[in-house]
Amino acid sequence: MGALEGIRVLDCSDPKGHFSGKLLAGLGADVIKIEPPSGDVGRTYGPFLDDQPGPERSLYWWHYAAGKRSLALDLHSSDGIELFLELASDADLVLETYQPGRNRPFDPQALADYYAELVVLSLTPFGQTGPWRDYAWSDAVGLALGGPMGSCGYDNLPGTPPIRPTEHHAGHISGYFAATAACTALYERQESGLGQHIDIAMHECMGFTIESSAPWALYEQHPLIRQAGRHAGPQPTEPWQYPTADGRLINIFGMPRSEASWLALVSFIQEHGMGENLSDFELLDGRKRQLGLQQPSVAVMLADIAEFIAAHEAEEIYAGAQAAGAAWSIIRTPDECLGDEHWHARGFFVDVEHEERNRSVTFPGAPYILSETPWTHGRRAPLLGEHTSEILCGQLGLSQSEVGALIAAGVAR
Amino acid sequence: MTESEPNTRPPLDGVRVLDFTWIVAGPTCTRLLGDLGAEVIRVENEQTLDSIRFGRPHPNGFDPPDSGAMFNWLDRNKRSITVNARHPDGLDLIKRLIRVSDVVVENYSSRILENWGLSFEEQRAENPQIIYVSLSGFGHSGPQRDFSTWGPTAQALSGLTAMSGLPEAPEPAGWGYSYLDHMAGFTAAAAITAALKHRRETGQGQWIDLSQVETGMALTGPATLDYTVNGRRYRETGNPPGNRAVWPQAAPHNTYPTAGDDNWIMITCTSDAEWEAFCDASDHPHWRTDRRFATLPARLRHQDELDEQIGSWTAGQDGRALMQRLQAADVPAGVVQNGVDLVLNDPQMKAREWTVTRDHPVIGEHLTDGLQIRFSRTPAHRDRPGPPLGEANQYVFSELLGLSDERIAELQMNGAMG
Repeated sequence: MGALEGIRVLDCSDPKGHFSGKLLAGLGADVIKIEPPSGDVGRTYGPFLDDQPGPERSLYWWHYAAGKRSLALDLHSSDGIELFLELASDADLVLETYQPGRNRPFDPQALADYYAELVVLSLTPFGQTGPWRDYAWSDAVGLALGGPMGSCGYDNLPGTPPIRPTEHHAGHISGYFAATAACTALYERQESGLGQHIDIAMHECMGFTIESSAPWALYEQHPLIRQAGRHAGPQPTEPWQYPTADGRLINIFGMPRSEASWLALVSFIQEHGMGENLSDFELLDGRKRQLGLQQPSVAVMLADIAEFIAAHEAEEIYAGAQAAGAAWSIIRTPDECLGDEHWHARGFFVDVEHEERNRSVTFPGAPYILSETPWTHGRRAPLLGEHTSEILCGQLGLSQSEVGALIAAGVAR
Repeated sequence: MTESEPNTRPPLDGVRVLDFTWIVAGPTCTRLLGDLGAEVIRVENEQTLDSIRFGRPHPNGFDPPDSGAMFNWLDRNKRSITVNARHPDGLDLIKRLIRVSDVVVENYSSRILENWGLSFEEQRAENPQIIYVSLSGFGHSGPQRDFSTWGPTAQALSGLTAMSGLPEAPEPAGWGYSYLDHMAGFTAAAAITAALKHRRETGQGQWIDLSQVETGMALTGPATLDYTVNGRRYRETGNPPGNRAVWPQAAPHNTYPTAGDDNWIMITCTSDAEWEAFCDASDHPHWRTDRRFATLPARLRHQDELDEQIGSWTAGQDGRALMQRLQAADVPAGVVQNGVDLVLNDPQMKAREWTVTRDHPVIGEHLTDGLQIRFSRTPAHRDRPGPPLGEANQYVFSELLGLSDERIAELQMNGAMG
């Protein structure tokens, strides 16, 4: 049983809300993904199965729509919106991402007012109000305006721009706010019996997701310097990413804090016949090892560490440093993560049957392990309109021929 | 959406959270819960204080442990008590607090609470309905559960660092802050609110075992599937792509320089309509008819020339004026803003009162930032500053636990409360 078992969600979101809907589905809600009859735009996002585009071949869709049901219904038609409103009378939550001034098929606040028990969650780029509320948007534009991107980039490649991390992170960041808001409103409703309208601006979610840039801006109006692979800061700091003998990179940010851990790291390195200067008495003082202050002692330490890393292979360095209590890491690519037995032992990667293709596909799984209400990946992503009849007949009591007429009219699929 | 309206209760009103978190990941979670109205009680220890209490900046002079802006930003809306969990009487206080709490959150290394005698089973013995969240780097099971992380460690191990950077650079740009500290905190908040909803229905508590690296890997779906389905390794195709698009395919999709020092605008055209609108709004309508740029496949093939031409056009222009001009033509364009821009130069944030002025006993008047979730009926709040160390000792030990003043004095003397 999932934590949101029994909760029905009408998910009218575009890619801005695909991750939020996935989170709710994973927590056990019945998420009905309402797509236009031509298919959700996410179905056109690659990568594609065997690199061949097609509405059922988008791996983006496979990932973000997993566990949802598909109802292909044109909400901009009068029949479509009428059926949607009927469905809403029996739903717990509506998730929508229409910008207020962009031809949205319904007014979310009015919908929430009409159905007193319904939670209506609007997840939009800039919220329901303000001069930018209808600004044209993309995930990358969102990350640029919202702040996260401003802290990412290179200090050692002059003239290069801030860099936006790839993979729909504006949607990821605000997706968690949307999921939290949904669960919170449903929790509150258990007591009050009332729904409400929730206005989430993705822009504001990102404005919180900038760590120390926020206090430096709020209190000192002081911008930070962006730096390759490490925290932006008020002053330049030492590099953290060092190349290994096998052409990979190690991040050494998590230097030991305790003396015991430091000594263990030093012996690990010295067992390999390197790191002579690490025995320097001064480095026994944790403050003299602290990164970020451009201390001469740290320069000596890092020179030896860089030399050691350059002469050894990444996996060996990673295992040895972690065993010593240093939170070092390998900079892995997503495919490399699948090679780490730890994640398999925890059951992170899950195999999902795609029965119509007669194959099982390995997906990244749960972001959290809930002991009593386990997150589930759920069924493979729905085919376009796969559940249209099931929902319109089963939930609204339409006959097959009525559904057929809607399909013939292009209202459903 | 007015804040602090009379007669409204925030949605998590009545939920009590015992907060053992520190640094950024755990406090991110409990800040969100506090904003939503939960009573968050930070359990602190004078010997091992949260280093964020000492972090810069210190706007009104360095006066630890209560003068730090980072702490006040991240730990607003919380209470603070001081307890020593390694003292038998301190542990007893914590157990009594668990009995009157709904949620326990911690982000220590994976054996700390166990070593204190506060494993999930031991917590549940005190309170059968407790919701316990352990937020660690590698989770509480598996062969590497004793490995440790900071945000950047987890970002590197999850694949996220490698997915941000210029293709020709010798190293990724990664993330300029602990993105996964925030994201793990948000993940925990979502899980807790789901668990609260489940508990209100069934009376059942639970343990949420959260691994920060897993929260990151869960964000790499399409790239991971490209490998598990198509067998393609991430770096085979020139990744990371800088600021160009991966999916959906789009061109132009990049940052372009504008007037001033290190100012940039992101312009993304994800359809032919947006591209044509962009050309018409630019001073170069002939780009529309240039065969190199006429279709998306052509623009993708000629992306170097396209970016170069757009870049020479934007260079020297005022970024904000350019953004407005392109937005007036419905082209997705936005300047790259930093934190200071969000606070000072962002009309959208101003219109929605993203920042408000609040007071603090040591720092004084200061700005605090937004409520990300705006409920129509049960608004969140941001009225209480970050707690001075131990400010709630009296309230918690006397009012909540009903200890006598003599007993409190005794516990202060013997080191249990310190």
